[in-house]
Amino acid sequence: MDYSRLDLVRRKATPVELDLVESFAQGRVTRRQFIQRAAVIGLSASAVSMVIAACSSGTPSATAPAASESAGASESAGASASASAVTGGSIKVAIQRPVQIDPINMQDLGGYGTVAQCFEFLCTLDKNGSDIAPGLAESWQPNADGSVWTFKLRQNVKWQDGKPFSADDVVATMGRLVAAGNSGLKGVIDDKSAVATDANTVTFNLLSPNGNFPYLVSVFNAQTVITPKDYATGTTLDAMPNGTGAWKLQTYDHATGATYARNDDWWGGKTPLDTLEFVYFDETGPMVTAYQGGQVDCIVQFDVLSGEALLTDANTNVIATRAALHRQIWMRCDKGQFAKKEVRQALAYTFDREAMIQQLFSGKADLGNDHVIAPIYPYFDDSVPQRTRDVEKAKSLLGGATINATLHAGQLLEIPDLAVLIKSNAADAGFNLDVAVESLDTFYGAQWCPAEPKDPPCSGAAELGIVDYGHRATPDVYLNAALKTKGVWNSSQYNSQEFDDAFTEFQKSIGVEAQKAACKKIETILNEDVPIGLPYFYNYLAGSSKKYQGIYSSALGQMFFSSASQVA
Amino acid sequence: MVRWLARRLVLSLITLWLLASIVFIIANVLPNDVGRTILGPFAPQESVDALNERLGTNDPLPEQYIRAMRNLVTFDFGNSFQNRTPVLPTILAAIGRSGILALYALLLTIPVAIIAGLYAGRHRDRPSDRGIVLAGVTMSSIPEFVVGTVLVVVVGVQLGLLPVLATPPPKAGPLEVLRYLTMPALAMAIVYFGYIARMTRAGTIEVLESDYIRTATMKGLTTQQTMRRHVLRNALVPTVAVIGVQIGYLFGGIIGVEKIFNYNGMGQLMLLAAQRKDIPMLTAGVIVIGIVYMLATLIADLIIAWMNPRARLDTAS
Amino acid sequence: MDAAATVTPGPAAGAPSGAVRSERSQARRETLTVLFRKPGFLVGLIILGVWAFCAIGGTNITPYDPFNDFARRHLPPSPEHLFGTDRLGRDVLSRVMVGARDVLLVAPIAALLGVVAGTLVGLTMGYYRGIVDDAISRVVEAFLSLPVILVALLTLVVLGSSTQVVILVVGILFTPIVARTVRSAVIAERQLDYVTAAKLRGESGSYIITREIFPNVLGPIVVELTVRFGYAIFTIATLSFLGVGIQPPSADWGLTVSDEYTNMISGKWWPTFFPAMAIATCVIAVNLIADALSSVTDE
Repeated sequence: MDYSRLDLVRRKATPVELDLVESFAQGRVTRRQFIQRAAVIGLSASAVSMVIAACSSGTPSATAPAASESAGASESAGASASASAVTGGSIKVAIQRPVQIDPINMQDLGGYGTVAQCFEFLCTLDKNGSDIAPGLAESWQPNADGSVWTFKLRQNVKWQDGKPFSADDVVATMGRLVAAGNSGLKGVIDDKSAVATDANTVTFNLLSPNGNFPYLVSVFNAQTVITPKDYATGTTLDAMPNGTGAWKLQTYDHATGATYARNDDWWGGKTPLDTLEFVYFDETGPMVTAYQGGQVDCIVQFDVLSGEALLTDANTNVIATRAALHRQIWMRCDKGQFAKKEVRQALAYTFDREAMIQQLFSGKADLGNDHVIAPIYPYFDDSVPQRTRDVEKAKSLLGGATINATLHAGQLLEIPDLAVLIKSNAADAGFNLDVAVESLDTFYGAQWCPAEPKDPPCSGAAELGIVDYGHRATPDVYLNAALKTKGVWNSSQYNSQEFDDAFTEFQKSIGVEAQKAACKKIETILNEDVPIGLPYFYNYLAGSSKKYQGIYSSALGQMFFSSASQVA
Repeated sequence: MVRWLARRLVLSLITLWLLASIVFIIANVLPNDVGRTILGPFAPQESVDALNERLGTNDPLPEQYIRAMRNLVTFDFGNSFQNRTPVLPTILAAIGRSGILALYALLLTIPVAIIAGLYAGRHRDRPSDRGIVLAGVTMSSIPEFVVGTVLVVVVGVQLGLLPVLATPPPKAGPLEVLRYLTMPALAMAIVYFGYIARMTRAGTIEVLESDYIRTATMKGLTTQQTMRRHVLRNALVPTVAVIGVQIGYLFGGIIGVEKIFNYNGMGQLMLLAAQRKDIPMLTAGVIVIGIVYMLATLIADLIIAWMNPRARLDTAS
Repeated sequence: MDAAATVTPGPAAGAPSGAVRSERSQARRETLTVLFRKPGFLVGLIILGVWAFCAIGGTNITPYDPFNDFARRHLPPSPEHLFGTDRLGRDVLSRVMVGARDVLLVAPIAALLGVVAGTLVGLTMGYYRGIVDDAISRVVEAFLSLPVILVALLTLVVLGSSTQVVILVVGILFTPIVARTVRSAVIAERQLDYVTAAKLRGESGSYIITREIFPNVLGPIVVELTVRFGYAIFTIATLSFLGVGIQPPSADWGLTVSDEYTNMISGKWWPTFFPAMAIATCVIAVNLIADALSSVTDE
């Protein structure tokens, strides 16, 4: 350990940075995690390399827990634009039909992917597909306690209509997002938080300290694309396609698809491909068919149910990103048969999680332990014992009683099959479950979160049901909306002061160590109380033909083609 | 003749009005939150409320109904709730696509089915007749989505003969377009063969047993002449009737085929509109399909009247 | 798929009396004999019988538990699993057998509902004519101008699909078609002498409809019932395929095809093929029976 070099960094470091450096030096985080976290908190590249150099001389650092392996080591072969890249050409991409292409209000993957070609984020997607990297912001720094973040913007960036990009655009965008009630930024910033300290710098005065703020203005909070300051909320992409991104929208037809052409003035240089062609689909089945028939070259997202064949196809690069995508099996904690914690635990003990992962995802998922801290999060604590199937324990928890209940599920991807498996698993311990599947249009409003009664939210929810949750880069939304007392999506009506306190502690924690400690509390509490059963976090799957390389994708449907090229 | 046409028109208008009302009732029978449906369950409540205000879905139902009806009369089909763009262009484009596919399918099946039906009728109860009837019954019993799936797998993927997506690239020439549409059209044609062939057969049999054919044969006309002059015209009456009635189905009902081939016809459009509670789109779409059906049956009745003067009297209802 | 079946009315009979009644049962017996001689009818009956047996037997006669037995996924057909296994490892043969229950329970009820309602409406329309006929005709026209599948789809999307709602919707949508057929038959009948005779006798309208006309249009109605049965199977399978019919975890055939058809492309044809064949054979069987019935009532 080269202490002289290490001390150089230590002396200049803020408490947040110091905490991370110490963690790395003591071997509590792996090198990869250190580099990732350093990028997030704004530690300069030179400091990072100095620390690494300092620590790699001599004793190897103690191995960090294997479970927190870097999230989403994508298996796509095109990570480095090596092997005979060809310039020119086009690619056909199959994507879900967007419901809305209004950058501020869009809620669906089709919209996110469509918009992300033209508009960009302060913090964009790293090429390995799972973390953030500098986008429209070149660097960012927190103050000592993480309550003020300063973002230095990239220079010489132009909007597609020629006007220069500046801090005013960022401030205006943030104002619009706050006004629209963006769920990631709610309670974190208000309309006065973002200030343009000069033409190329934006300072965010947060409402309370938040160690994860850069994620909230990144590709992982899909609506935070930066729009020009004269942009009116509600304008859709095709009405005003004026972004800073690598692609210019040429045509848009909600019925068939969209085409994009290279933006010659893009700050990132000249894209190898000339044009993109997006084809819209309503379901994954036809997408897979089209791909196998050679009519599209790339699928933005597919599920194992329809696309299993692609997983073993020799001509396909499968991008399997570990993600926080999951299903929650909520159980009413306030009244009904599941009000007693023992009953909820009993149901959780019947889940055959490995079999579910094998049958539903061909193994492409992480085990879930009935809490929302996914293994891909760096602050995931793996010391909470993994719950496994134990029919005897379940029976004894039930005290020999039988429970008759209806398991509600929406018609989405593998959820009906999951319901079948749960019913079968649970029958062995005395649960007599009746599976009721309905279409999503009625499910959310009738079972998951009925509009009435309004207070507390979702108090009209069914006793037992399965709901889907999309990927988030931090668990804040899951904890806040689904589990906190009176959360807006809290169908289980979970009401625990202990949990609420642990959540607040997590939000306030700065630094990996503190966050990990808070998460350990959260995981333990949730695993014990089981307001929701959570059997797995499944991978985000995308695929492209091996004729192309350099494609990378987030777990939110944003696929990036700026480095994509045809293989010679 | 003019009176008959005028009467038909008036009746058609009443029917169209009924159609629009039925759709309105169906779409509003249960309380629903249109804004919430469009934006999804995870959107913030403020956005949902704002959207509902803008769309006017909070107004009392009678008011919404009157508004919808008034718009129809002035041909103002309005904007889609979904993407705030005018409804009519989208619908016309979808009807156009459905129309091309329907036409292609009919072109594939009608000649073959009529010839088969005539042949079967003439050789009634002989093995060839039985064979044709059996083939017809079998083929029309298989739902078109099943036929479509088999075609996709065998012809599209395994043999690679035809493209599996029905939507051709934007700049394709007419022959290219036909290539892309062949498989879905084939799926529909196979299913339709049965109906048309059996109708033609039934018509042929009825005509062949009728008095005036016997008179013609006794007069000394050869079979060929008999067939050409008398049988064809009259045997095809039920066929034309059936095709006229089925046109509506061909335009809006082949949604199974549209799903498999990802073809953006009326069926898909209506399904999406129903899921999104997009009332303007639904109402307009249903009216347009209704109009297509009216026109198709009108033309069919006119053709029948021309072919068989006696039938003119029967079409009065 | 709602082509109106053009049907001719059955043999005209005089006012019921003892001698005529025995004549009638004689005629019926003869009809049945002719019917059973027709190969189409027999084949159809046998096929339906097989499926009915499966439906009644249910899980008692299936080789494996179709809902809870998860073997290895996507095994091709073999001696242990004659039809292979599906994506969750369930035996396809067992699921196809059990799926008969959904079809043979739901379709006949929907068809019956449509035919009963349609007959009532058609009788009223055909006998009374005038304004009643005109008004109801307009409503019938309106329903008929839209494809059944589409209206069913729209309604089910709005109401949410459960088995009961599906039966109700399909039944109601068949009513106009049946009504029109029955109406044509009634119109032809009411011009005949025995009806005039009854009117002259002073019989009431409802008496004439139920006692005089109805027995004579029974032939076409029975044919219509069988035809509707076939359409019901077809329609419900398509609705299940589109996701708005019978809901999972049912082993309904249309639903299974919808769940598994994307796997056909990667070579796993059996979970889709066998349920699809089941739908086809069922509808063929019903159509063969309907054909035989209609040719018998024509004579």
